[in-house]
Amino acid sequence: MSLVTSMESISELAKSWDTHAVSPAENRYDIVVTRGNLLTIVAELLRTRWGFLTAITARDVSTASGSAPGKEGEIPADRHFEIYYHFCRGPAVLTLRLSLPHEKPSVPSICGILPSASIQERELAETFGIEVEGLPKAGRLFLSDDWPAGLYPLRKDTTPQSIRDFTAVAPPPPATVENDATPGKFTVPIGPQHPALKEPAHFELNVDGEIVTGVSLRLGYVHRGIEKAAEGRPWVQNLYLMERVCGICSHIHSMAYALGVETVAGIAAPPRAQAIRVLIAEMERIHSHLLWLGVAAHEAGFDTLFMYTWRDRETIMDLLEQVTGNRVNYSVNLLGGVKYDVDPSRADAIRRGLDRLEPRINHYLGIVTTDESFLRRTRGIGVFSTDQADFLGVVGPTLRASNVHRDVRVDAPYSAYRDFPVTPVYDDACDLAARVTVRVKELQESCRLVRAVLDALPPGDRAVDFPRRVPEGEAIIRVEAPRGELFYYVRSAGGISPDRVKIRTPSLANWAYVMSVAVGHKLADIPMIVVGIDPCFSCNDRTFLIRQGDRKGILGWDDLRRYAMQRYGRRAE
Amino acid sequence: MAVQIPLRKLIDRAALWSRINSPWLVHFNSGSCNGCDIEILATLTPRYDVERFGIKLWGSPRHADVLVCTGPVTRQARDRLIRVYEQMPAPKFVIVVGSCGTTGGVFQGCYNVLGGINEVIPVDVFVPGCPPRPESIIDGVVQLLTKLKNSAAPPKGPARNQEKSA
Repeated sequence: MSLVTSMESISELAKSWDTHAVSPAENRYDIVVTRGNLLTIVAELLRTRWGFLTAITARDVSTASGSAPGKEGEIPADRHFEIYYHFCRGPAVLTLRLSLPHEKPSVPSICGILPSASIQERELAETFGIEVEGLPKAGRLFLSDDWPAGLYPLRKDTTPQSIRDFTAVAPPPPATVENDATPGKFTVPIGPQHPALKEPAHFELNVDGEIVTGVSLRLGYVHRGIEKAAEGRPWVQNLYLMERVCGICSHIHSMAYALGVETVAGIAAPPRAQAIRVLIAEMERIHSHLLWLGVAAHEAGFDTLFMYTWRDRETIMDLLEQVTGNRVNYSVNLLGGVKYDVDPSRADAIRRGLDRLEPRINHYLGIVTTDESFLRRTRGIGVFSTDQADFLGVVGPTLRASNVHRDVRVDAPYSAYRDFPVTPVYDDACDLAARVTVRVKELQESCRLVRAVLDALPPGDRAVDFPRRVPEGEAIIRVEAPRGELFYYVRSAGGISPDRVKIRTPSLANWAYVMSVAVGHKLADIPMIVVGIDPCFSCNDRTFLIRQGDRKGILGWDDLRRYAMQRYGRRAE
Repeated sequence: MAVQIPLRKLIDRAALWSRINSPWLVHFNSGSCNGCDIEILATLTPRYDVERFGIKLWGSPRHADVLVCTGPVTRQARDRLIRVYEQMPAPKFVIVVGSCGTTGGVFQGCYNVLGGINEVIPVDVFVPGCPPRPESIIDGVVQLLTKLKNSAAPPKGPARNQEKSA
């Protein structure tokens, strides 16, 4: 899927839609859509399988924030909302731009065509107060239960003061519970605090005996409001905020943000900086995949493997610390370059570390593909077909284990990946075992890539000067995080802080897989299925519930008590 | 002639001795970026291996002596944090790991963040850092144990906002 063929095919498709289209960048194609033709166009895109839905970005175009007419001259000076549906195919990004009035904005839901879009549409409804017509009604997604109704955090006129004023008067909404009285059927609540979860989330599994019949999920326990905070902080400070979206893949977040801001400003980091970014990104992938392998082994009851992988992970942690001075949040990126250089002695240290690590990784590949007890927990479990994975827009190793050939590093090489090509790893088994194998093989590939970068590190400066103000403009950045495609939309209104930063993390895209696969499996397989996407709650919080069956709402403390009293009262009779 | 020690005192002394020699920890993430959580997990694994010192990370708050908290407190996690704390049997202690849990850190002022852990529950030991190294986390536990050793009943201030949860 080259850029040219993708762009040609979309302009071919767009001819029949009678819409206004522009191409703001080489790899981008923007179409202005209306409420009327949105569904037809989305259906057509998905029917022809032009691409997959990456993200839905909303924006409050407010005169207060100083929005002048945009590049395409389509943004009027009065206040309104804009919704962007970003579709991707290979390197090409198609954006459907929809403009909505500020009074009572509403948009038709596309989740009838694409079920996985409901997650992002819920986010839209909660943070911007845009009514999404046809979205199944359910409780809060990622805002807290006591969040005041009618207050939308990402609107421009919502300030910390207005949040405080609102909170003082808002009563928490009552949770509704419908008790399931059928014998043999139970609801098993897990979390938010649970030994198997190192991050808080709340799962409710409806089970019939051992078999799961429905899953609902409530996240939002680590939702902090980063996208809003970014709008109030200078460009440089945001670099450190974005790094803390997620502590496991911290570098890739700040890298995506830096690339986005550099694109808007039209300043490129020097080649040496780009290579160092890629080097750290691959070292981060090694640490992240090893961490994941340990956690997956732990969920499978294979604690020996957990301990071994984490012992070996310390090797890469030491190397990261040697290069950057920190084990977890490395602060490598600057706007316009990187902070740390890799001199020959450090390069040698990294090579020595890899010499130690590579035989271990090969050993683990042997274990996960041959150990009978481990295979019994993974082989044939959580099968997710190529077609489903492609359609639902799942990303990363989860997707590649379903044999969909999609990797941003290959399809749309960013930073220095053009100079250091990646050999992507695919597997056609589509089950959990494939996901494990793909990740372990990606470890091998990352090690090779780290060596390649070290051997051909371009000479030159680490960084270039970067202005305090970034000129007006927008950028879409896609990078391959350890968990999959990470999407950033960065927009500047010409000021010292961003006008809008939208983050779509890989875990958010991958929940669609958990939800569609979990039903029908045994309860004991659920932890493995969840861990199969390498979920990262702090990344994706945000979020939502998806239900099968008729349960609605979230059990509050009182509901649980009432439920328990009813249940045990009945039994006593 | 043998020194008479009242039975109650003897039991207290034995309990303190066992608590200091094998504290059980429960971990709760109230809005952390994960950085601190993976470092806490790293303390369990072979390089740092806190089980050597009798420190055990345990799943249930009802069996735990020490609550290890990470992250700023988000609106949604606040009540759960209080509930987990209340489920722990007394005497209970709280260690906060990371800058966010100490002050709110980089997330100060975010709309869904209420601030540090001690806005909600009383805290005994703060371990600053973003994230702190595993050595610092172990040091935090050791500081708590030292504090326990030196005073049989450690005094504790109330949390800054100790109003009842909704």
